[in-house]
Parts: sequence; structure tokens; C-alpha cells
Amino acid sequence: MLEIFFLALQRSTLVTRLVKQGTGRVTLGIGDGANDVGMIQEADIGVGISGVEGMQAVMASDFSVSQFRFLERLLVVHGHWCYKRIAQMVCYFFYKNIAFGLTLFYFEAFTGFSGQSVYDDLYMILFNVVLTSMPVISLGVFEQDVSSDVCLEFPTLYQQGPRNLFFDWYRILGWMGNGLYSSIVIFVLNVIIFYDQAFRAEGQTTDMAILGTIMFTCIICAVNFQISLIMSHYTWIQHFLIWLSVLTWFLFLFVYGMISPTYSKNVFQILTEALAPAPVYWTATLLVTIACTLPYLAHISLQRCFQPMDHHIIQEIKYLKKDEKDKVMWKREKTKAREKTKFGFTARVDAYIRSLRGRLHKKTHSLKSKDGNPS
Amino acid sequence: MSSNTPSSSAGGVGSADSAAPRRNSKRPKYSKFTQQELPACKPILTPRWVISAFMLVSIVFIPIGVVSLFASRDVVEIIDRYETECVPENLRDNKVSFIQSDANKTCTRKLRVKKLMKQPIYVYYQLDNFYQNHRRYVKSRSDSQLKDNSSWNDVSSCKPEDMSNGQAIVPCGLIAWSLFNDTYNFSLNNQQLEVNKRGISWKSDRDSKFGNDVFPRNFQNGTLIGGKTLDPTVPLSKQEDLIVWMRTAALPTFRKLYGKIERDLQPNETIHVTLENNYNTYSFNGKKKLVLSTTSWLGGKNDFLGIAYLTVGGLCFFLALSFTVVYLLKPRQLGDPSYLSWNRNPGGH
Repeated sequence: MLEIFFLALQRSTLVTRLVKQGTGRVTLGIGDGANDVGMIQEADIGVGISGVEGMQAVMASDFSVSQFRFLERLLVVHGHWCYKRIAQMVCYFFYKNIAFGLTLFYFEAFTGFSGQSVYDDLYMILFNVVLTSMPVISLGVFEQDVSSDVCLEFPTLYQQGPRNLFFDWYRILGWMGNGLYSSIVIFVLNVIIFYDQAFRAEGQTTDMAILGTIMFTCIICAVNFQISLIMSHYTWIQHFLIWLSVLTWFLFLFVYGMISPTYSKNVFQILTEALAPAPVYWTATLLVTIACTLPYLAHISLQRCFQPMDHHIIQEIKYLKKDEKDKVMWKREKTKAREKTKFGFTARVDAYIRSLRGRLHKKTHSLKSKDGNPS
Repeated sequence: MSSNTPSSSAGGVGSADSAAPRRNSKRPKYSKFTQQELPACKPILTPRWVISAFMLVSIVFIPIGVVSLFASRDVVEIIDRYETECVPENLRDNKVSFIQSDANKTCTRKLRVKKLMKQPIYVYYQLDNFYQNHRRYVKSRSDSQLKDNSSWNDVSSCKPEDMSNGQAIVPCGLIAWSLFNDTYNFSLNNQQLEVNKRGISWKSDRDSKFGNDVFPRNFQNGTLIGGKTLDPTVPLSKQEDLIVWMRTAALPTFRKLYGKIERDLQPNETIHVTLENNYNTYSFNGKKKLVLSTTSWLGGKNDFLGIAYLTVGGLCFFLALSFTVVYLLKPRQLGDPSYLSWNRNPGGH
């Protein structure tokens, strides 16, 4: 008895392992009882169903749903969105840190490689924590390329994940290249604009604190403008956080400049006294921001024109409301986007036979009870 | 397996429903935020938007570029490099020993005004190959000592220029020790040109970083003199040359404000400069230049901002035109389902 029970527990686990090793694919195991725990843990993605058989499956799983039919939504809507969000978030993180960090290295060439940082310490601390983190978190939480009902209508869009269209080497290296380009533009333009001459009508020349603050302002503005070009789904939260990040930088500079020079040292009143009244500060920031993001804008325009991806086309159909105007076309594309599955064929045939038998049994039972003869 | 009440896997809902629903449902309360159905703006990059964006950038940038270029062209600048010429010819083989000796360092230069220079005309000294941004140099100062007389002994960060003859140096550190000490005297038609040396530093430095109760003490008292000596009766807040010098420059080539000439200079005038060539830049092949410059609303003479704006604006205009051509030659109708991947290569996604 114990032996049979033990084998029953192990069977689904072994099957999952076989599928994983044999096909090399990512496996998903779903179950609702304690006997499914082994399989759920063995599979790459374990989904537990909470309900009649208790919470053991849920506690062992990566995701839990309350009904089996929610699996479709979990994969096709949330899986699809999650893949894109994470891919975009990671690429953007690389981009912004490369754009910021490399400027520090370029500056070293001008300081005799002595290790002098052109930015104040507090700028660098706040860069990843406050000044550029909020928009990218809102991208990771809220971004949707198409709405959830379109995801359910077009399950083929989910295939963009398994085919790894958004996190392949081309994209990763492309974003790193964009970061490299941005860092070069930010550094070179600022150094040449603020070279040795006066930067204000009153004749003052740039010192290191001023150059560092100007370069940092350019980085913050460029990086936040870049993320606004990446996003395709703007809620009020994203709008607010992007503007908030840029404003927080200026607010921080203002407040930091207000505290005593014992703590703020070279940043003391830098915004109010030196930078804000200087027109070249604002013009240089505008120039650098646009120069950094121009190649990306040209690239996505070309890509959308010549090699549009499926979700681009569907976005356009929805935008122009062609799905309502041309219902035939929409229905046709929806059916094409669903592939008839070959799995579980025998199970479905069995289920159909069972349902037919059940209907037949009910008919004969009702006939017999009408006659009054117990069967 | 007993089914105990499931906890928060479904999102949690108040167990006491005052308005009892017909079914005892544990479904969490619907909200647009949790269901990710917040109202959203979904802009699409249509050809119209692309071309408009590029045209807008070029329309904004090209005028800014033109204005900036004109502002820079209006600035008149006279630059005179003098560190080699001001060493007597017979001593040019060993400039370092000349500068360290007690020889007469006076030198006269002639500057020619090419265009009208309107007052105020700013006088700068420019140093090349001088790394004021080296980490050890930048560190070598004591801000607390400069600010407050009570901290006169706080010299720990100033090594090696912290103490001299057992006494603390005020102001300590390498930056103060290497204070630039060439002086310039200008004359025009045998008349002295007044150079205003007040107000050349940032006001916040004068008011808050350099105390008016701090006086130079024990300064340049050691065996090695690095630069200018300071008048011990003048408080630091009034020593503007020191204040200007203490603002470390960002790049190895930099200018610092020396003073202002508050009268116009007419074209074809010749200014005679009597300068004291005291500062030793010969040990490290540095260059010294005297610069006279007017300013515009944008600052000093630098065509680069204007040129960069014109370049970016021109490039955007070119991109707008090429995208227009591309969209006309190879139009792709928006929302055309024949571009969907299952229609482009049927029978295999």
C-alpha cells in the first residue's frame, strides 16, 4: 500500500523531469493537491490552485490561482506583459548606468587619472535611488503593449516571449551602445561648451563643481526623456513620476545649496547664484538632451516603418479603431492567431465520449422513471 | 486534507461583509489600479508624429543656433602667450633656474585692439597643463579654517602644507600655497588703465566661505615658496585673488578672472602691459597667457554652442525630409493586417 502511494507521488515529478531534460524547454506544472507538490517544485514554473484540496500546492508554488481556468490569463496576459516589462526594465537600467558611469571615466583623462570625481558625492548616491528610479519602476509595474482583452484574443503575441524577441543580444548590446553614445555626447558637448571662457555675462569662468552640476543635469534630463520614449502606455502615474524625477533634481540642488557650506561645500548656492541665471546652462541642457535621444527616435521610427512587430500592427488597428470598422478582418485575424493544439487529443476524445454517455444515461434513466419501473 | 480558510492568496477581503452578498464570495474588491485598467494615453508613432517631431526640433534649434553664433561672434578677445617670450633670450635654456632666481622678472608686452571693445573688459590669466583638478590637490585645503577664526588649527587635510616651523599655516593646503602671482599693469597712451580687482569672485564665497575674521598667518614662511604672499592685515573675505584661485578649475586649461577694465577700448589702440613674470610654470611645461575679453549674454567667446545647435537642427531637418521621402516612396498603411507575422510567413510563425 505504502509502495503504491509512494509511486503515485513520484510519477508526475519524474514525468516533468523527463520532459525538461528531454526537450530542453521551460516547463510549467499546475496542480491543486498535496500529491502535486513534487511536480510543481520540479517544473520551472509551478502553479498551485487553492481550493478544495487545501493550501499545500499553493505553498509550494511560484504562482497561485484560485481556478484552473485562470491559467490562460496568467500565461497569455500576465506572462506576456511581465516578459516585456522585465526585458525593457533591465535594458534601460544598463543604459542609464552606462550613460552616467562612463562620463566619470572620461573625466579621469583630464585629471591625470588621479581619481578625482567630477560630481559631488551626494549626486552619485541619489542617482540610482531617487533621481532615475521612479519612472523605470513605474515602467516595470504598469507597462502594457496591448490591453488584456487583446492579449486574450491574440494568444500568438505570447510567442514573443518564448522566442526571446525582446531580450536577445541585439537588444542588449543596442541599449549598451546607446548608453555609450549618450555618455560620449554628454561629456564631449559639455566640456567643449564650457571650455575655458566665461559662461556668464559677468565674466566668471567654470570651475569643477559647476561643470559637474551641468553634466549631471544633462544626464538626468536625457535619461528621463529617453524613458518617456520607451513607454507606450502612459497612465497619470508615469507622467507624474517622470516630471517628479526631473523636478526632484532641481529641488535637491536648491535645497542642498541652501544648507551651510560646511556640508554643501562647493555646491553652496550653485543653482541660485551661478547656474539658474546663466542662459548657457539651460541651452546646453536642451541641446544635450535632444542630441542623446535623437538616434533612438530615428531608429524606432525606421523599425516601425519597415519591420513592424505584431503588437505594433495591433496597436495601430486599435488606435484607428479598425477592429470596430472592419469586424470581419478582426475576427479572421483572431482565428488565425490561435493554433489548434495537438496535445491532449485522447483526453478530449475521452471527455467527449463520457459526456455523450452521461447524456444517454440521463435519457434512459428519465424514460425508465416515467414508466415507473425501478432499474 | 481539511480545508482551512485560505489566507491572502486571493488578495484578501474583509471577512465581515456587512452587506452580505448572495454568494459567499472571497473575490477581492475591484479597483482599476489592481486590475491594471487605469485610464491611459497610448500614443502611436505614426509618420505624421515622426516628421512633426523632427521638424519641431529643427524649427526650435536653428534660430537658437543662429542667435548663439552671433552672440559669440560679437565677443572680442585678445590672447597673448608670454611665458617663453618673457624669459630673456640668453637664459632660455634653463627657464626653471631663471624663475627661481632673484633676477628681474619685469616684462613688457604690447596688445593690439582689433575691434571696439565695450566696457567692462575682463582680464584673465590662462594656464595650460596645470592640473588644478588632481585629486590630491583638490583635497589639500581646509574649508573650516577658511571660514572661521576659531578653527585656525584645523589643518589635518592640508598635508604637506599644514604646518611651518611648528605653527599652523592660515590658509593651509596646496591650493593656497600655489597661488598665482604674476601681476599686470596696463597703460594706454602713457596713461594708466585702471583695473578693478573688486567683485571678481562669487558673492557666496566672499560672504559665507571665507571669513572676515580670518587673517593670513605663517603663510609662505617655509623654505619652498609656491606663489603669492598674502597681506596679513587683510581678512580672507577681502583677498579676492585667493578666493578666485581656491575655486579649483575643471580642466587642465583654465582661465581665472584677474580684474575688470571699466572703459571702452577703441580699435587700433595699443595697450602696453607691464607684467611681473613670477609664477613658475616651467617645471611642468605649462603655458601662461594673458586674455582680455568682452562678454555677451551667453558669456565668452565660444562658437561651439551655436555650431552645435545649427548642426543638430540641420540634421533634424534633413531627417524630417528623408523620412517624408521614405514614407512617400514606401508607404505602409497603418494597421494593415498583411504585416502580421502569421500573414507574412503562413504555416510557421
